[in-house]
Amino acid sequence: MSFTPKVGIVSCSGEDCFGGGVSRMATLEVLHRLRPTDTVTICLPLFLAGSGGEREFAKSFPTITVDGCAKMCAAKGTAKYSSEPAVRINVSDYMDDPCSKVDGVAKAGEVSVVVRRVASDIASHVDRLRSQWR
Amino acid sequence: MKKVVVPCSGIGKAFGAVSRETTHLLTQGMHSTDYRTVCLPLLMTDDTEARQVIEESEVYVVDGCPMKCASVVVKHAGGKPVMEIIVPKVLAVNKDHRPATVLDIGEGGRLLCEDIVRIIIERGGKDE
Repeated sequence: MSFTPKVGIVSCSGEDCFGGGVSRMATLEVLHRLRPTDTVTICLPLFLAGSGGEREFAKSFPTITVDGCAKMCAAKGTAKYSSEPAVRINVSDYMDDPCSKVDGVAKAGEVSVVVRRVASDIASHVDRLRSQWR
Repeated sequence: MKKVVVPCSGIGKAFGAVSRETTHLLTQGMHSTDYRTVCLPLLMTDDTEARQVIEESEVYVVDGCPMKCASVVVKHAGGKPVMEIIVPKVLAVNKDHRPATVLDIGEGGRLLCEDIVRIIIERGGKDE
């Protein structure tokens, strides 16, 4: 019986940028609804604040980072404190100016569409990474 | 002095979501002229501008668990928090305000956020 590792997903969840919220919502969508049995996560700041064990995360699991803006903090932080991510997703590739303030119900529909697209792409990467492992 | 609130935004537990929604109440609600926030991951990457904001501000940290990730990262970036709140400790004072899940903290979670906002505003700068 062959072993296929779960895929790690690390979201920036950046608080000062709307895209950080999108990264978080898309990551939670994959973890809880789209691929709950194939994925794991870790709080990004644990790489710095945790004991040495947390830093093994991206070495143990092929990891997808999900960033809310072009600063790519989750990808950089994962690479610096753990290991190079297998895939780097950037919400900036899915919406214009993700760090602008989004107000009003009118934007809610647009945001949910972006979250679904990002989540769908994460799920596709999860499937690809797991199939390549076999 | 500027006031900055920094949550851990932990993604694994409801308490991380509470830290995040507490920050929204302070930075997007009626107190938004007094409080702002900084992306915690930006501090991990040693961003110069974010570090400067932290060094020059009164920093309130809201952590979702005793690992105190947000506190550790803020201090790593040169900040000196005036208050370090751990969400479960606030819950221990009023156990009815228990958050539901990380996906939806529910009514209990929202009340817990309001408890934390009150602590920050009423006891600002005095960690107890």
